[in-house]
Amino acid sequence: MSGVGPVEPGEGTRAREAHDTDAVRAPGRTRTRLTEVYARHRRAALALAVAAAVLAGGGYLYATRPKQPPPPEPPYPAQAVEMAFLNGRPTAPGAPPRSFSFEVSLTVLSGPPVTVTRVTQPYAGLWLSVAPRAPFRTKAGAPRKITITMHVTDCGKVPKDAGLPFLEVTLRNARAMQAQSFILGERYAQHLSEALQVACGNGPRNHQNT
Amino acid sequence: MRQRSLIAITAALAAGALTLTACGSRDSGDKGSDSGNGGGTTVVIGVDAPLTGDLSALGLGIKNSADLAAKQANKKSYVKGVTFKIEALDDQAQPSSGQSNASKFVSEKEVLGVVGPLNSSVAQSMQKVFDDAKLVEVSPANTNPALTQGDNWQTSKARPYKSYFRTATTDAIQGPFAAQYVYNKAKRTKVFVIDDKKTYGAGLAATFTDEFKKLGGKVVGTEHINPDTKDFSAVATKVKNSGAQVVYYGGEYPQAGPLSKQIKAAGAKIPLVGGDGIYADDFIKLGGASAKGDLATSVGAPVETLPSAKEFVANYKAGGYSEAYGAYGGYSYDSTWSIIEAVKKVVDDNGGKLPSDARAKITEAMQNVSFDGVTGKVSFDEYGDATNKQLTVYSVENGAWKAVESGTYNGS
Repeated sequence: MSGVGPVEPGEGTRAREAHDTDAVRAPGRTRTRLTEVYARHRRAALALAVAAAVLAGGGYLYATRPKQPPPPEPPYPAQAVEMAFLNGRPTAPGAPPRSFSFEVSLTVLSGPPVTVTRVTQPYAGLWLSVAPRAPFRTKAGAPRKITITMHVTDCGKVPKDAGLPFLEVTLRNARAMQAQSFILGERYAQHLSEALQVACGNGPRNHQNT
Repeated sequence: MRQRSLIAITAALAAGALTLTACGSRDSGDKGSDSGNGGGTTVVIGVDAPLTGDLSALGLGIKNSADLAAKQANKKSYVKGVTFKIEALDDQAQPSSGQSNASKFVSEKEVLGVVGPLNSSVAQSMQKVFDDAKLVEVSPANTNPALTQGDNWQTSKARPYKSYFRTATTDAIQGPFAAQYVYNKAKRTKVFVIDDKKTYGAGLAATFTDEFKKLGGKVVGTEHINPDTKDFSAVATKVKNSGAQVVYYGGEYPQAGPLSKQIKAAGAKIPLVGGDGIYADDFIKLGGASAKGDLATSVGAPVETLPSAKEFVANYKAGGYSEAYGAYGGYSYDSTWSIIEAVKKVVDDNGGKLPSDARAKITEAMQNVSFDGVTGKVSFDEYGDATNKQLTVYSVENGAWKAVESGTYNGS
């Protein structure tokens, strides 16, 4: 029978003993200690690991969460408002001599409400009053009629034939405050010219403009 | 075994976290095609502007902005089956060149609309050529009222050409708006009026003068200059001796800059006021430090007050164009887009294809085009004029134009 049997210890050799093995594998001893520590605090270690993982996952999710685009900013008030000349009106009761009234519409086309804080006109010989009195607020989709009464203070300094007269309106909304000139077109120019010529041509008395 | 449990739990949690993250929807930014190709039919939009010469800064801005609009339409496949292409021709600000360019566009059957020109005098030479061919033309910059309302626009308006549209406001409003500002706000009552004898400059000076006089202002002198020269010393001396409190110039920045400088050098420390033709950075460069306080009106509202313009500005920057979009960039984009909208309408109405009489149909469709553009709501009135009529007064401050007054016209 030929075969190779177990190698027997020869000279200089000997069977390893258990403690020798441990001595050679020192790191194993450390692992064993960790294992022992882990064994002693298994629940706490697991809870710690789970907590860390949840925290890391949550942090990652939060950091990379889908971001909602910021809501669009409301338009500047001057871009959201339309003003148009409507027609002449009877002069406001109690108005001083050389006064006349007319009506304009103010429409907020879109966005948040717009507040009219001031209405003026640029000519030296005139001043005006507004009903309703400023400031007043107008919402989108609800046009507002405004009655403007102009008073001539100096006939020598009024534009009796201006081609494109305008009103200056200060507007405010959630975005900004702006002063905008509204050029109200030929009908307004014609109305203003006629009213001024009557007011200044007929002496210091009320001009009843209808 | 216990170690394996710990690893398994951690791995499961990590995998869960990653899965959740992957499931989360988020904006990926651009979802459109990057091909820039909208489909099988190519529609050419012609662009006519001064691409060389003194006014090329404005012309190149017009060309680039038209190019951007076409690219955006292609990127979005805005008109199914149609790819838009820009063909730009240089008119050198010369009416004769503009007319030749118009004939060339008409001869190319793929051209279904034209953006331009910059100059009203050039437009006059092109209108009939386009109208005879029923080829629509949309100008981003022409402001002379006669182009849409006829030569007798002050007494009886009559539209001369149904194929001509514009997105810019006219001088019928711009001149008087400037007069109102100068007389009422700047408190200048004596003006010296100068123009370059061209359609735009002379027309604008006339509308300014008319309103200034109506307001009670006095014209203390008038002069015409030759736009081919840069020596305005004789005119500057006349201005100095006239006692004028302000100079109004109807013309463009290549002459306005040196004119302003020479007037101040002659001893008349008074502001020069002009229209959109001088509203360019080059005016400030040419006018030098003494241009401080000079004024210009320009069509439209200041770009920074238009939310719609922000996207245009960002896209223009991303487009890598080497020249600025200038005073008419937004209007050029809107002019081009109005042609794209008209093409879309015609294609949609014809079962997704261009009809054989596409040019005539597109011209017809243009009248009812309406969209929210870079410069606001874009649509046209019965004369082909823009319904959006906004104007701004700018002043030179610290070497740059600064908006000082804005106005909205509503003639209804």
